[in-house]
Amino acid sequence: MRRHLPHYLMIAPFLILFGAFFLYPILSGLVYSFFEWNAVSLGDFVGFANYFEIWDSRDFGRAASNLLVYISLTVPLGITTAFLLALLVDSFTGRWANFFRSAYFLPVALPAFLAATIWRWIYAPNLGLLNMVLGWFGIPSVNFLNDTSTMIYALIAVDIWVSAGFNMVIILAGLKNIPKELYEAARLDGASKLQQTLFVTIPMLGPVLFFVLTYGVISAMQVFDTPWLLTGSSFISYGGRRNALLFPVMDMMGRAFGSVSFGQAAAYGFMLTIVIVLITLVMFAIRSRLSRQ
Amino acid sequence: MTSTKVRRTILGGISAVAVVALTAPSSAQSLDYWVYSDFGQGEAGALQEEFIAEFISEHPDVTIQMSGRGDDDLTAGQIAGAASGTLPDVFMNGLAMGSTLVDVGALANLYDKWMAMPEEYRAQFDPAAVERCMASETELYCLPYTGYGTLLFRNLDVLEASGVDTSTPPATWAEWLEQMQAVSDAGYFAIPDQTLIFNSVAEMYGMVGDNSTWGIDWDTRTTRIDPDVMAQVLEMFVDLSEINSGTSRNDQSTRDLFISGQLAFHTIGPWANPTYEQAAEAGNLNYDFVLMPGIEEGKHGGIQNYEFIGVAPGENEDIAWEFAAYVAGENQMARWASLLSRYNSNAAAMADPEVASLPLIERSVESVKYAMDVQPPYFVEAVPNCHNAIVVDYSAATADGEFSPREGAEEMIAELNDCLAD
Repeated sequence: MRRHLPHYLMIAPFLILFGAFFLYPILSGLVYSFFEWNAVSLGDFVGFANYFEIWDSRDFGRAASNLLVYISLTVPLGITTAFLLALLVDSFTGRWANFFRSAYFLPVALPAFLAATIWRWIYAPNLGLLNMVLGWFGIPSVNFLNDTSTMIYALIAVDIWVSAGFNMVIILAGLKNIPKELYEAARLDGASKLQQTLFVTIPMLGPVLFFVLTYGVISAMQVFDTPWLLTGSSFISYGGRRNALLFPVMDMMGRAFGSVSFGQAAAYGFMLTIVIVLITLVMFAIRSRLSRQ
Repeated sequence: MTSTKVRRTILGGISAVAVVALTAPSSAQSLDYWVYSDFGQGEAGALQEEFIAEFISEHPDVTIQMSGRGDDDLTAGQIAGAASGTLPDVFMNGLAMGSTLVDVGALANLYDKWMAMPEEYRAQFDPAAVERCMASETELYCLPYTGYGTLLFRNLDVLEASGVDTSTPPATWAEWLEQMQAVSDAGYFAIPDQTLIFNSVAEMYGMVGDNSTWGIDWDTRTTRIDPDVMAQVLEMFVDLSEINSGTSRNDQSTRDLFISGQLAFHTIGPWANPTYEQAAEAGNLNYDFVLMPGIEEGKHGGIQNYEFIGVAPGENEDIAWEFAAYVAGENQMARWASLLSRYNSNAAAMADPEVASLPLIERSVESVKYAMDVQPPYFVEAVPNCHNAIVVDYSAATADGEFSPREGAEEMIAELNDCLAD
């Protein structure tokens, strides 16, 4: 023990920080989820009642189904957009490459509030930029942010706009690491540009795309700020018209700060954590199985 | 100088500072004062700073830090502050959040302090507004501050272009609907979508019902909404479904449509007026503001809602109360109302001739006489998060044709009762 003491001391800072800022919040959240808790005083132990309450609530099903649609569209579309942008930027050299990389990355750096304000203006019925453009083609004004049939697509477009630059930079770094000889060999074998992309670029980008996919799914599971701002939500009213943009984290925040049901919010957060961990594990398992093949 | 000497000098200095800090008299009191973001900037912020300076001149041992925050920031900060013991000393919020803040212990019971104030001070306030701050006969958790009654803003150019006589405002729902249909026939939007926001649903409910059939009965944990009244209101939403702008009353795009001459009516509080006034001064808008009509002549729709000033329990409670009472006093509220043309709960300030003659105040005072409370009763229990969503959802679903107004009202009430019973 004495011989290993210096080693333990060396990893102690990590363990302390890991315990304080990672394990403690998760475990305390788990404990609070079994109590009536208003953030100040711990009330009665209620067992799984908070979980059942969420499960039975009218908003849970809506939030979950919205999330499913959102993830199934925004993740593949977002990655495809980022991949195409990365290919485009990779085809430029010198100052143009820098310019486009910076330009596409700009939305990532914009504060969410500003991004949402810009898009609320773009989507505004009649006077918004998008509706003005549609009007030039004789298409009547669309109420993107209040028509329940368009709201989720409007959100997805904004999210792709925001996240594409970040994913593009990661994919671009992956592209730079692909040996040029592989493309030369493919060209010599008569492969077209499309075939080079499909059979050289994508397989070589496997680990990078897996990271982008995993990160995309985890981020999408926690979607909050963009729909909150696009729908002008507050703690006592959120989710937009007929809850078309209601998502689990929004519901969790509403329960926490709108009706001070922090016990329920903790249960919601813990359920979400479990689902995210499970999905991530499944993705890693699939990835590991595919790599073995 | 050797390194030992340097170390000794530094340690000596630190010790001296520590000794001075520990032995200095601790009479200076520092107050954190949180206000709504629009109250903390521009001319409103300058006036608040003036109030602070005046108070400090009378209390030289006090310092006050004002901080402007958005609605959600105020609430989240106050709840988190209560949990961590770092509450602001004096702060604002809306009545609808009152019981939530009492639940978490963010608001001190001010009843004894209130009763200790001179009678002439207490008499300045609208008694009904003070009552809204009370959870029981001996529990007063806030001082009523600013408020509003709904106003109906009319774009006179749009109305005239639609062939509507603008010389008198619509007196009944039937007249108003007729005007809105004329506006729609002329190719304009009549009104924002009133089903998008809880407060706009409440405004419309106020056209038919009143406080006696609105809000929550906490004793039985049931809604007080009357199915007959709600069915009539939902019928109105059906009538408006094809002629509204699809934007909510709070959307910036609604104001843009109004200013750009595409929207005829906008029901909202007086805070929309500065934007419209500016557009009118620039020659881009011809508008006025009137009371919302009711279902029949003599009745008016709309809601009244209030912001309050609360004081956190703790060691600064006494001086924080003094400051809150000063800010909400007649002289300050009269200056506030004169500067911003904003209605407030200080009845004496509202009766000040200079204030009472301001058109927006005059109309607001009239509106408040008829307007329904937005979510009574206050300071009883935190309203569950499902409540407002149910009201808004069934209103929108009925307007979309998923339910008949009668079915929509019955389903809404049944679901509200389930939500409240949990």
